[in-house]
Amino acid sequence: MLGFENVELYYDHVYALKGVSLDLHEGETVALIGANGAGKSSILRAITGLRPIRSGRITYLGDRLDGSSPAEIVRKGIVMVPEGRRVFPLMSVRDNLLMGAFTRSDKAGIAQTLDAVLERFPRLRERIGQQASTLSGGEQQMMVIGRALMARPRLLLLDEPSLGIAPKLVQDIARAIVAISRDEGVSVLLVEQNSRMALSISNRAYALSTGQVVLSGNSRALLDDPRVKAAYLGGEV
Amino acid sequence: MEQIIANGLYLGAQYALIALGLTLIFSLMNVLNFAHGQMYVFGGFVCYTVVAQLGMPFILGLVASALVLGVMGALIERFLFRPVIRRSKRDESTMLLAAGIAFFLDAVILLLFGEKQRGVPKIVNGVFNWDFRLIMPYDRILIGVLAIALIAGFILFMQYSKAGRAMRALAQDRMAAQLMGVDVDRYSMIGFAMGAMLAGLVGALLVTITGVNLGMGGPTSVKAFLMIMIGGASVISGAIAGGFILGMMESVGLSVLSSYGDVTYLVIFATLMVFLAIRPQGLMGKPWG
Repeated sequence: MLGFENVELYYDHVYALKGVSLDLHEGETVALIGANGAGKSSILRAITGLRPIRSGRITYLGDRLDGSSPAEIVRKGIVMVPEGRRVFPLMSVRDNLLMGAFTRSDKAGIAQTLDAVLERFPRLRERIGQQASTLSGGEQQMMVIGRALMARPRLLLLDEPSLGIAPKLVQDIARAIVAISRDEGVSVLLVEQNSRMALSISNRAYALSTGQVVLSGNSRALLDDPRVKAAYLGGEV
Repeated sequence: MEQIIANGLYLGAQYALIALGLTLIFSLMNVLNFAHGQMYVFGGFVCYTVVAQLGMPFILGLVASALVLGVMGALIERFLFRPVIRRSKRDESTMLLAAGIAFFLDAVILLLFGEKQRGVPKIVNGVFNWDFRLIMPYDRILIGVLAIALIAGFILFMQYSKAGRAMRALAQDRMAAQLMGVDVDRYSMIGFAMGAMLAGLVGALLVTITGVNLGMGGPTSVKAFLMIMIGGASVISGAIAGGFILGMMESVGLSVLSSYGDVTYLVIFATLMVFLAIRPQGLMGKPWG
């Protein structure tokens, strides 16, 4: 569904991605793990068109994706939940969610999706008229995942959904991601520093270091891999 | 007392409309539009041309001003601000560009409309008189009501339309809005066009009461900046509050302080300096409402 072929990406003169190749199949959940600055988020920025790539190719459903504008990419069904949540702080929860459906114009369909999102995250229904800035971190994370679902994506990109979230809510979010990929048939590309969580809810994973893929494979196998344990699971038992 | 409040409301509504356009452009593009006053004057002259010279009804003058300034704003964004913002990493570049456009528009206005003060014949005759406590010509009342209706329309548009929501989203978090599929270029152009259109509409409204002349552009820009500094930059409620507060202060100043000479703006500036020292972000200062 999505493919990277030798993608290089630079910030001014500093490289962030140095010949990255990876792929993601329809219906899969793929995790990208690695330390801060390894290039995980740069991969998402390259997909969404927020950052131009210098060389290589990104393909999506058989077509070339790189070079499209962020707005075009959303219309193709790729929607990102950005790092740090990035809610629209002074807009109501309802308006935040409706912004997610910005590229759609089927009024009845939007109302239906809104209902489904509120069904999935009942807390949002309780707070539908509240300003987004008054929500807790966990609620905001639920809201921005819901906002992305409002676009009815085929591929959902999640950038550090557990960052800055209370530990007991991290599980809720992990569960929500699993449920979404199962119920909606959405493919998921998950970027996480919480490698254990990412590996436990994904089918496959790529480990990155200094802009390169250093390991890849089945998530279950990677969880038991001694190299992964040493480098990414922080020596936990 | 009633008279002072009524004058303040009338003036404040015009000012709030000007400030709304300025704050819209600022919050969407981070551009300080120093040419805002010139756009206002231009709108006034367009209305004058349509109504006084071509003899058309006032409503057509109003629509013509809105259209001409809307198109002008869109073109200025597309061919001047967009390339400069793309190539430059410094805010000063757009400030210089805006100042340049202000001088350019002054020259165009001089060329097209001349240096004379222009007005249009009274659009409504008669004077409202409440026991000599409140005297106000009907045309002023009409223009005041029109301005308030435009403010209400603008708020409703920003609050409930899809485009309004997109512009609020862009102002609150540009990157997140992009990730929702909002085309930044397109909405910057729409926002600039709307800001210019608001300036033009106020010009068209006020040409019926006070007339316009070439020299009004610069001072109007300064007043508009005062308003958004009072209210807080890039907040809708701030622009409206700033507009009405400045209108009220002028109204009070002109009737209370006039016996001490022409000191109204001296007092307003002094008050503003003290106020900003205490609350530099303005009354409603936050990213965007």
